[in-house]
Amino acid sequence: MKEKLERLEQEALKALEAADNPQEVQLLRVRYVGRKGAVTQCLRSISTLPPAERPLAGKLANEVKTRLEAAFKDSIEAFDTGRKRPDGALDVTLPGRPLAGGRLHPITQITQAICEIFLRLGFEIVEGPDVELDYYNFEALNIPKDHPARDMQDTFYVSENIVLRTHTSPIQVRVMERQSPPVRIIAPGKAYRVDSDVSHTPMFHQVEGLMVAENISMGDLKGVLTIFVHQMFDEETSLRFRPSFFPFTEPSAEVDIRCVICRGKGCRVCSHTGWLEVLGAGMVHPAVFEMVGYDTGRYTGFAFGMGIERIAMLKYGIDDIRKFYENNIRFLEQF
Amino acid sequence: MKVSLSWLKDYVTIDVDAAELAEALTMAGLEVEALTDRYGYLDRVVVGRIVEIAAHPHADTLSVCSVDVGDGIKPVVCGAANIKKGAFVPVALPGARLPSGDTIKAGHIRGQPSEGMLCSEAELALGTDSSGILLLKDQAAPGKGLAAALDLSDAIIEFDLTPNRPDCLSVIGVAREAAAILKTPLKYQEVKVPAGATPIEELASVTVEAPDHCPRYAARLILDVKIGPSPFWLQDRLNSVGLRAINNVVDVTNFVLMEMGQPLHAFDFDRLAENRIVVKTARQGQRFTTLDGVERTLGAEMLMICDGKGPVALAGIMGGLESEIEDHTRRVLIESAYFDPITTRRTAKRLGLGTESSYRFERGVDPNGVRRALDRAAQIMVESAGGKPAEGVIDVYPRPIRKSVIELSVKRTNRLLGAGLSREEVGSYLESIELEVEPLNEDRLRVASPTFRVDLKRPEDLMEEVARLRGYDKIPTTYPESDVVGIPRGKKLKLRDRLRQVLSGCGFSQIVTYSFIEKDACDRLGLGDKDPRRRMVSITNPLTEDQGVMRTSLLPGLLATMYRNSAQRNENLKIFELGKVFLNPPAADRDELPLEVEMISGLWTGARYDKTWHFREEEADFYDIKGVVEAVCEGLNVKKPRFAPLSSPDFAYLRAGHAAELHAGDERLGAAGELSPAVLKNFHLKQTAFCFDLNFDLLVDHATQEKLARPISRFPATTRDIALIVDEAVEAGSVLDFIEGLGQELIEAVDVFDVYQGRPIPDGKKSIALRITYRSFERNLTDSEVNTIHEVVTNKVLKQFKAQLPAIDGWR
Repeated sequence: MKEKLERLEQEALKALEAADNPQEVQLLRVRYVGRKGAVTQCLRSISTLPPAERPLAGKLANEVKTRLEAAFKDSIEAFDTGRKRPDGALDVTLPGRPLAGGRLHPITQITQAICEIFLRLGFEIVEGPDVELDYYNFEALNIPKDHPARDMQDTFYVSENIVLRTHTSPIQVRVMERQSPPVRIIAPGKAYRVDSDVSHTPMFHQVEGLMVAENISMGDLKGVLTIFVHQMFDEETSLRFRPSFFPFTEPSAEVDIRCVICRGKGCRVCSHTGWLEVLGAGMVHPAVFEMVGYDTGRYTGFAFGMGIERIAMLKYGIDDIRKFYENNIRFLEQF
Repeated sequence: MKVSLSWLKDYVTIDVDAAELAEALTMAGLEVEALTDRYGYLDRVVVGRIVEIAAHPHADTLSVCSVDVGDGIKPVVCGAANIKKGAFVPVALPGARLPSGDTIKAGHIRGQPSEGMLCSEAELALGTDSSGILLLKDQAAPGKGLAAALDLSDAIIEFDLTPNRPDCLSVIGVAREAAAILKTPLKYQEVKVPAGATPIEELASVTVEAPDHCPRYAARLILDVKIGPSPFWLQDRLNSVGLRAINNVVDVTNFVLMEMGQPLHAFDFDRLAENRIVVKTARQGQRFTTLDGVERTLGAEMLMICDGKGPVALAGIMGGLESEIEDHTRRVLIESAYFDPITTRRTAKRLGLGTESSYRFERGVDPNGVRRALDRAAQIMVESAGGKPAEGVIDVYPRPIRKSVIELSVKRTNRLLGAGLSREEVGSYLESIELEVEPLNEDRLRVASPTFRVDLKRPEDLMEEVARLRGYDKIPTTYPESDVVGIPRGKKLKLRDRLRQVLSGCGFSQIVTYSFIEKDACDRLGLGDKDPRRRMVSITNPLTEDQGVMRTSLLPGLLATMYRNSAQRNENLKIFELGKVFLNPPAADRDELPLEVEMISGLWTGARYDKTWHFREEEADFYDIKGVVEAVCEGLNVKKPRFAPLSSPDFAYLRAGHAAELHAGDERLGAAGELSPAVLKNFHLKQTAFCFDLNFDLLVDHATQEKLARPISRFPATTRDIALIVDEAVEAGSVLDFIEGLGQELIEAVDVFDVYQGRPIPDGKKSIALRITYRSFERNLTDSEVNTIHEVVTNKVLKQFKAQLPAIDGWR
């Protein structure tokens, strides 16, 4: 018995020495100390020995088994930690050969995400010119010349009658001029205002939305924007509609969402109010309908607009809007 | 716009706290921007008890007090005479910021340590007495905050008001909203002017020569005033909303401005020539000095208040220096008028002069509140500045402005709001803000809106009033009923997405730069004088010089981005921008919009691959950028794109011989290649860069959307290689085109697999190695069959290009 055990141990250790990979070690472990392994069998056969020999043989068998188990365990660890390597092994921890793709600008990614949501709701994407007639940017949106509402948007002028659009809202008018209801559009694009600081850049991006049909109510506006916010952020993000003023909607609303950073507890991002202003919205002003020749008795509609940078800043935790336009590649590669 | 809670309480009972009120006002459309503690500035001012007073060793008029300020006895040097041992006094501790703007610091006064300041009531803006230290009656515990000890508490509510609500640019206006929300009545102050002796008409006259610009002008005269500081309550009210007290006449006009929103002006009546007022427009080019001391040049459309000689005030904007109230003023003419909003706005804009007064006139004050505000000012002035009024009022108001009357359908209100309100409910919301409501029938209401609500003109305006007073949160969330529609995404939108995928797949990151660039960008790109990209759209009021024109190329943005990144040591760049450029029409009509063309441009500079353990760093080259353009064409499925050496002067910014034009059909879509050294220098760049600059609109035109599967032959291909020794001027492309042009049906593909120049190839020659793939759709090709065809092809090529086969090796 003793010799057998010693032989088995020698044999196992030799095989272990020769093992080239951890799979092989596993097989050896099963072969020697597994449930039906050779050493295990020896241990079981001790009961067949004369009683006087049993204690010694038992002790020896147990010692061999323990030593072998430790040796197998150590060997597997050696492979796992790289102390020991299979023949001709590669250093698999070296980095792979890069196939680095480029990144899309965060503004593009957020615009796409916003558009996707509205596309699913049956909205159509339309676009319009960046350099726009005063008429479409202001007059047709019920903002006559010499109206204090023009102060809400500091305008870049090209000539007396041509401006850089200050919002994407002129697209509403261009669409309604060429198409009769029902209308269901979203219009992403650039907008420009004379403004530059941590939260303003002279060029920025907006998405405008417009829905016109018979019997569209302010409740429907709430419904559509609720769907939007829940999909853009999450279902837990609640909305709050607050009366406000835009010359081209009546009633008008500012739409706040529960701060996505602090969940309403109050933090720096929401100025400790628990709310973030993200959208302007309202029911299309009848003066705008009159301007494009829609029957105000028959049709109602809602419009909304949002700043894409604002949403991107919230989604990505960016604190300075100017970073979007510095185009530092190390910044862009994060998205 | 600021109001204080305590001032509001003069007109409305408020039983909620300031935060609750602010929240309610915000939710009713008066957005509260900030809510602050009126007495926050007393933060570091505490009650102190004077324990000991000692003479100052170096100054007769000063004493050194030992003051118990709660957490210890502090030395404070003081110059007041009214202090005594045991007195309780206000102590401004180090760090306290007094209303004067001074910050208290611990230090030495004439050699003696002083760790604070004992204050008078004037120094703390708690009264007007500055003769001595404020002696506190209540013996509060030393160290207690002064505001708490004196029970001072007030909140300042600051609003960010929308331009449609000038009625809320006054304490009463805000109080009216608060009253409606809190469902409690608004308490108007009683206005009563004492009777005077001499009728005003005997002393003064008002003529309005421009009634369109000035629909109403009213005046009162206060005689025998004594100019001095205002009573404390008046100063305190003005201070609370951030206005500085001046004197007991000017303060009254400012008080009424804040209280009622009606701007007033006080003239020194004795400095008005001929004691009369004439309201008329200015003479073009006339000069006038406003009371801020600035001489201004007037335009013919500007409305002026004049006396018998000339202008004395810019109507509704600012008074003149000449008729300002001075210390010796005895008689005051108070003006209360309604100036036309547009007239006021144009003048204020032209002169770049905005004031509290012009701000309100531009947005619209209440034409029918003019008289009440005038009386209110007269009443307070008599109380605060002594004097007595002349009897009566001059009130020039030839065509009274009436309330607007709007018919409102309850049904339509409910339809728009998604609500189910009764006629009575709608009516009561409107009545709560002083609208007069009269039912016409089951559905319709006749609503008269007071003239202070300049924004209520249409039924929808009233619907908003109902909605906001009821609360937008009461509007149910519903979903629009609509037909199922599926609108396919337009070709351009699809291709844009595809293009971005292709380029990001090629390792290019997208940048977005400003649409405006610097004016000399065309010069820096070396564009020709006639180049259409020189027809730039200029911005008349750019933010900075380098944002003066709209871009006509995306390259300046890419180059500026490369510059900024290289400054950051980001030396390997692969970037692209997809965006519009703006070209003025050739003969620029003033009202014609520019042409907006969408371009796709990219830039590659630095290494082909970022340096890693796998690659030696290799510089990118022309064929890298060309490969990207090929990938773009393939990704967009552009029909038959062709590259050709540069021939158009449009691409002067590319290095000759190291760039190519891209053609499709008979149109040029753009170019790609190395940037010319001159352009790099002009953009302050040191590193070689490659770019592509393509017209995306044209790419879209040439892109085919449908893809048809071609059958794939199930027979194997056979390849044959040839190396041709040709003149070095021969373009590989022409060889490929030639072989394709042979129309040999069994040729499936021709690829260039090597190009070589140098020994043993003779000078002036090069070797081009081609691999031709042969395959049939019908059968396995035999070797001899392929050899025969290949020989024919080879001979034709040799002949066409005067080429030779290499001496050794040859072809198999």
